[in-house]
Amino acid sequence: METARSGHGRLIHKTDLGLALIVLALCGALWYATAQFDEVPAVLQQGVLPTDFPRLVIAVIAVLALLLPFEHIAHARRGSNIDEERSVKVKPISMVTALVLIGLVAIMIPFGMYPTMVLAAAVMPLLWGERRFGRLALYVLLFPLVVLLLFEQGLKVNLPPGVFGDLLG
Amino acid sequence: MEAVFSGIALILEPFNLALIFVGVLIGVLVGVLPGLSSAMAVALLLPFTIGLEPVPAIAMMAALYCAGTFGGSITAILINTPGAPPAIATALDGYPLAQRGEAGRALGIAAVASVMGGLFSLVVFILAAPALAAIALQFRPQEYFALTLFGLSMLATISGKSSLRNLIAGALGVLVSTIGVHMSTGVERFTFGLSGLYEGISFVPVLIGLFAIGELLNQSQTLDKTVERIKSVAVRLPSREDFRRVRGTILRSSGIGTFIGILPAEGSTVAAIIGYNEAKRWSRNKEEFGKGSIEGIAGPEAANNAATGGAMVPTLALGIPGSGTTAIILAALIMHGFRPGPYLVRETPEFIYAIFTAMLVANFLFLGIGLAGAKIFSRITLIPRTFLWPSVFVFSMVGAYAYAQTPFDVWVMLISGIVGFVMLRHGFGPAPFVMGLILGRLVEETWSQSMVIMDGNWWGFLESPIVLLFLGLTVISLFWPLITEHVPKLFRSRRGAEAGSP
Repeated sequence: METARSGHGRLIHKTDLGLALIVLALCGALWYATAQFDEVPAVLQQGVLPTDFPRLVIAVIAVLALLLPFEHIAHARRGSNIDEERSVKVKPISMVTALVLIGLVAIMIPFGMYPTMVLAAAVMPLLWGERRFGRLALYVLLFPLVVLLLFEQGLKVNLPPGVFGDLLG
Repeated sequence: MEAVFSGIALILEPFNLALIFVGVLIGVLVGVLPGLSSAMAVALLLPFTIGLEPVPAIAMMAALYCAGTFGGSITAILINTPGAPPAIATALDGYPLAQRGEAGRALGIAAVASVMGGLFSLVVFILAAPALAAIALQFRPQEYFALTLFGLSMLATISGKSSLRNLIAGALGVLVSTIGVHMSTGVERFTFGLSGLYEGISFVPVLIGLFAIGELLNQSQTLDKTVERIKSVAVRLPSREDFRRVRGTILRSSGIGTFIGILPAEGSTVAAIIGYNEAKRWSRNKEEFGKGSIEGIAGPEAANNAATGGAMVPTLALGIPGSGTTAIILAALIMHGFRPGPYLVRETPEFIYAIFTAMLVANFLFLGIGLAGAKIFSRITLIPRTFLWPSVFVFSMVGAYAYAQTPFDVWVMLISGIVGFVMLRHGFGPAPFVMGLILGRLVEETWSQSMVIMDGNWWGFLESPIVLLFLGLTVISLFWPLITEHVPKLFRSRRGAEAGSP
C-alpha cells in the first residue's frame, strides 16, 4: 500500500506543515481581499463593520492552523494515527471521476439537463467498471427519464433544455 | 391544547403520513447502504421538498433522520459494516452475535432498543423544547451571541479524530457564511465580481456537494474492494428474558443519548459510543462484551436513536443545530421561510407538535419496517455501486439546480464536493463545516446587534450572568479534549504518589 509521508518521531509533521502553509496562504489572500471591500459611508459606521467579522474569523483560522504541524504529537501519545485517512494516495480513478463530473456539469447548460443525465448514467458506470451491458442499457434508458419526469412533471422544475431541447421546441 | 391537536391533525392527514412513510423507507434504505448517510439523504431530499408545505417537508426529513439512524445497525450487525457512523458501536457486539447464528435476535434487540430510545427522547423533546424556548425568549443579542459561540465551540468535542480540525472546518464554514452583500451596509464581501455570490452561498448546493459528491469521490477510492452481501435473515422480537436483561441499559442509554443530543453540535455517534461504554460499565456480564452481548447492542442503539429527538430540541427551540443532520434540517427550515428559535416555538407551537408527532409515527413505522422488512432490506446491498453512485450524482446535479434553478448552484455543489473530499482526507469533516456555515450568520448578526446595544463597549458582555455562563461553557468545551486527556492522568499520578509515600 502506498503511504503518504508520516511525521511520526518528528516535532513537525511535514504533510500538516504543508497543509498549515496552504491554510495560512489562503488566510493571507482573504485578509487582503477584506482590504479591498468598499468603504462604508460614515453614516453607516456603527456596530460591527463589514470587515471586522471576516477578519476575526480569518485570524482564528490562522492561529488554529499554526497548531496543525504539531497536532500529530498529541495523536501519537493517544496511540492514534493522524495519517489514517490520507495514508492511501488519491487513486487515478478518483481524479478521473472528478474530471468527468466537472465535464458533465460543464456541458449541462449547452447540452441540456436530460442529455447530461443520460451521459452521466452511461459514462460513470462504465468508468467504474460496469460491463453488464444489458443492465447498463436499461439503466441509461430508464433512470434519467424517471428523474426528468419526477422533477419536470412532479415538482414543476424547469430543467435547462439546452441545444437539443431548443431544437425540439 | 389547541396547538397540540392542530399539530397532530396536520400529521395525520393521509398525504403527510404517506410522506413520513416514504421518509422512513428512504431512511432505512440509506442506513442500510454503507456510504450513504442520513445527512446525505436529508441534503438530497431538500430540493424535493421545495414544492411542499413546510410541515410535511420537515416531518419527512425528521422521519428520515430517525429511521436512518436505526437502518445503520442492520449492516453493522449482519456484515460488520456500519451503514452509518452512529452504528459503529452496535457492530462490536451485533456482529459476533450474528456470527453465532443469532442475527435475528440481534436485529430484534436493536430495533426495540432504538424505538424505546427514540420514544424516550421524544417525551423529553416535547417537554424541553417549549421550556427552553421560553427561557430563550428572554435572551438579548448578547446572550444569543454567547450561546452561538458555545454551539460552535462544541465542535471541539464532537466525533471525529481531531478537535483542532473540527474547529478549523467550523471556522471555515463561518467564513463562507460571510460571502455576499453585508446586510446593514450593502458592502460586497468576497464576491469577486460574481453575481451568483451577491446573495451569499446557498446552503442547499453546499450541503449536497459536501455530503453526496464528497462521499461519491470517497467511494471511488474503494472500487477494488468487494462488498459483502447480506444473507436473508428473519428478525425476532426480544424474549421476556432478553428484555429483562436490557431494560436498565435501554433506560440509561436513552437518558444519555437524549442529553448528548440536546448539547449543541453533539450527535448520535458520540451518544452511541458513550451508550456502549456505559452499558459495559454497568453490566454484570462485562466479559460478554465484544463477544455478542445483547446489552452491547441495546446500549448504543437506544442512545443513538435517543440523540435524534434530543438533537431536535436546540435545533427548533434555539436555532442551534444539535447534530450534523439537524443542521441540514435547520437549513431546510430557513429555506421554507422559518426562523428557527424561540419565536418559532412561541408563534407556531402546532409546528413543534407536528414534528413531534411525525417523529413518533416514524419510530413506530421503522419498528414495523425493521422487523417485517429486514429480509427485503437485507437485499438492498445487492444494488451495484456502479449504478448507485452515478444515480447519486444525477440526483445531486438536478437537486442543486432545482433549488434556485441556476447553473451557478450546480458548480457550487460540485466544487463543495471536491473540496469536501480533499478536506475529509486531511481530517476536516463536513459536519463541522456545515455547522459553521449555518451558525455563522447568526454569530455575526448577534455580535453586530450586541455591539450597537452596548455602544461598542466589549465589557458589556460581562454584565450578563447568562453570557458569562455560556462563555465559561465555551472555554470548557474548547479545552475539553485537553481536560479529558490530562485531568485523569493528574489524578492517577497523585494517587500513585500517595500510595508510594510511607
